[in-house]
Amino acid sequence: MKQRIGIIGLGRMGITHFSIINSHPEIEVVAIAEPASLILNMIRKYFKHIKAYENYTDFFVNECPDAILVTTPPSLHHAIALKAAEKNIHVFCEKPFTLDKNHAIELAGIFEKKMLVNQVGYVNRFNEVFRTVKTYVQDGVIGDIIRFKSEMYSRTITKTEESKTWRDSHENGGGALFEIGSHAIDLVNYIIGKPDRITGSSLTRIHSKRVEDAVIATFLYRNNISGTLNVNWSEESFRKPVNKLEIFGEKGKIIADQHGFKLFLNRSRTEINFQSGWNSFSITDVFKPVPFYVRGNEFTAQLYHFIDCILHSNISNICTFRDAAHTQDIIDKIFTDYNLNGTFQS
Amino acid sequence: MMIDKKIFGDNQFFGINHMSQEKAQSLAESFRNISDIFRVYDFAFEAGIRAVMLNSNERAGDICDIFRANKSKYDGIRWYPSIPYPYKYANAISEKGIIPTLNDILFKKNTVSGTAGMLARGAVAIIWKDAIRLMQMLIDIEMKTFRGLDVKVIFLQNIITDLLLGFDIREIFEAYCEYIRKKYNALPGLITQNMPLLKGKLETWGINEVVICTSFNKLGYLMSPDIESYIKAASTNNPAKYQLMAMSTLASGAIPAKEAYRFINEQNIQSVVFGASSQKHIIETCSLITG
Repeated sequence: MKQRIGIIGLGRMGITHFSIINSHPEIEVVAIAEPASLILNMIRKYFKHIKAYENYTDFFVNECPDAILVTTPPSLHHAIALKAAEKNIHVFCEKPFTLDKNHAIELAGIFEKKMLVNQVGYVNRFNEVFRTVKTYVQDGVIGDIIRFKSEMYSRTITKTEESKTWRDSHENGGGALFEIGSHAIDLVNYIIGKPDRITGSSLTRIHSKRVEDAVIATFLYRNNISGTLNVNWSEESFRKPVNKLEIFGEKGKIIADQHGFKLFLNRSRTEINFQSGWNSFSITDVFKPVPFYVRGNEFTAQLYHFIDCILHSNISNICTFRDAAHTQDIIDKIFTDYNLNGTFQS
Repeated sequence: MMIDKKIFGDNQFFGINHMSQEKAQSLAESFRNISDIFRVYDFAFEAGIRAVMLNSNERAGDICDIFRANKSKYDGIRWYPSIPYPYKYANAISEKGIIPTLNDILFKKNTVSGTAGMLARGAVAIIWKDAIRLMQMLIDIEMKTFRGLDVKVIFLQNIITDLLLGFDIREIFEAYCEYIRKKYNALPGLITQNMPLLKGKLETWGINEVVICTSFNKLGYLMSPDIESYIKAASTNNPAKYQLMAMSTLASGAIPAKEAYRFINEQNIQSVVFGASSQKHIIETCSLITG
């Protein structure tokens, strides 16, 4: 029998996920919730078999699918995931997972206890370049890590909006730290590990009135690794959002983005076919085709992984609520560090 | 109508490279001046190319203006526009959301010919309920860039085609194809990274005479579900129903040209769109595409 899927929130990400998941042969989209009447009308017109609700409360009163995709503004994630847990529904939730570390930890605990599949949309974990980089780092190709920098740039906010938008409010999950900083932090947690201390945090406004557009922070580890985070969502020089990761180790270094990576080795490693000096790899060297492509292999790979985890209990999830709670913890620490030390107010 | 065998693409002009950000950035820098773009177009026309594919991005308007202003010099050039420029919408949607973005595009920044009368407030609500009318208006806005040019095929960008393909709605594809034929007297084109699935759906839906443009390369890069399905779908295809146009034939430069086109020439493909920025590469590519 097919897995019955619900989608809560049909904005830009919700629409993309809908298209991708709808291509999966083992699933059926049965219901959605979305307040915008334009979208609701279109769903009702073109998807007669899908139940469409104006809000998630009505959705949960009437529906109990096997799994839901949560693609609402982040401030609603916690309440929706709690409702889903009550009804034993597996959850894929977009990032940032929650706006409060304690909410993230609470949800991770509940879903683990109930053994429900839980995943958050830190999509870089499904990018073939970053997955390969993780393998190389774990296998010690560049030796022990000494320094790193994790950067993310996008042209999301390029002017001051007069009207109030959810992106211009921390309460609704806006701001560069929640929106793109979370990706750059998660990539650090995934490949290098969670830092033990945050220091030197700086949050800068460029266009936004209420939230930061750019962030810098320093990550420190008890084992002497240290690194920096640098994100900016008002970077018009980038056509598309980009993550950049540079890792310096005792035996070499790796410079990576979503499209490829360069590996510099101090000495050659003939047993694994790497020469001393620069070795370049592009996405075309490491990609794996996906069954259906909409927006990049990683978007399909992450949703198909979610379904795989539901269908096969022996597969462990690559980006759990627990992982996202760790990312949330770092976000909280950056805000705290900035408030304590980041300004010159007397 | 048979489409051109060799079509000159535009990715090289706009800093688009699927493999490397760095390469993309340096390309964007080298084509900062429109005269540099036209130097390359002239190389392509000297090499015998008579067909151009161009996306309706911010710079397309200026490029088309020059083509229109030099009609005699560029006589007989056939146009294969692709619409929309997805990042224009994506960035705006990120900033404000889907509905305010559409509102801006449809009612603030543009006056679509023939729709001025509909802009009365009451009519707006009706348009929102009619996805197809909405789509037609968006097509008209994008196609304004190409007015007065000899348009053969109008392609829908893959991000839109594949999104709609995932939704699996026949009416939208039917309406797109019909509108392009009737209003623009051109062949409807669909760009996709899921060619076997799309072709299968079009066959099931009975939508024929569509040009399908898709990544096609020896590596299987950007070819879902896999290269074997692509080769099979192409080999069993009837070009009278679906003419196939290959793009990303070099997989963003990962495959040497000779090797890449040896593979392409063996496939049942009617057309190739390629981009190059040097005269040498343009001449070389033209000589490698045979059949």
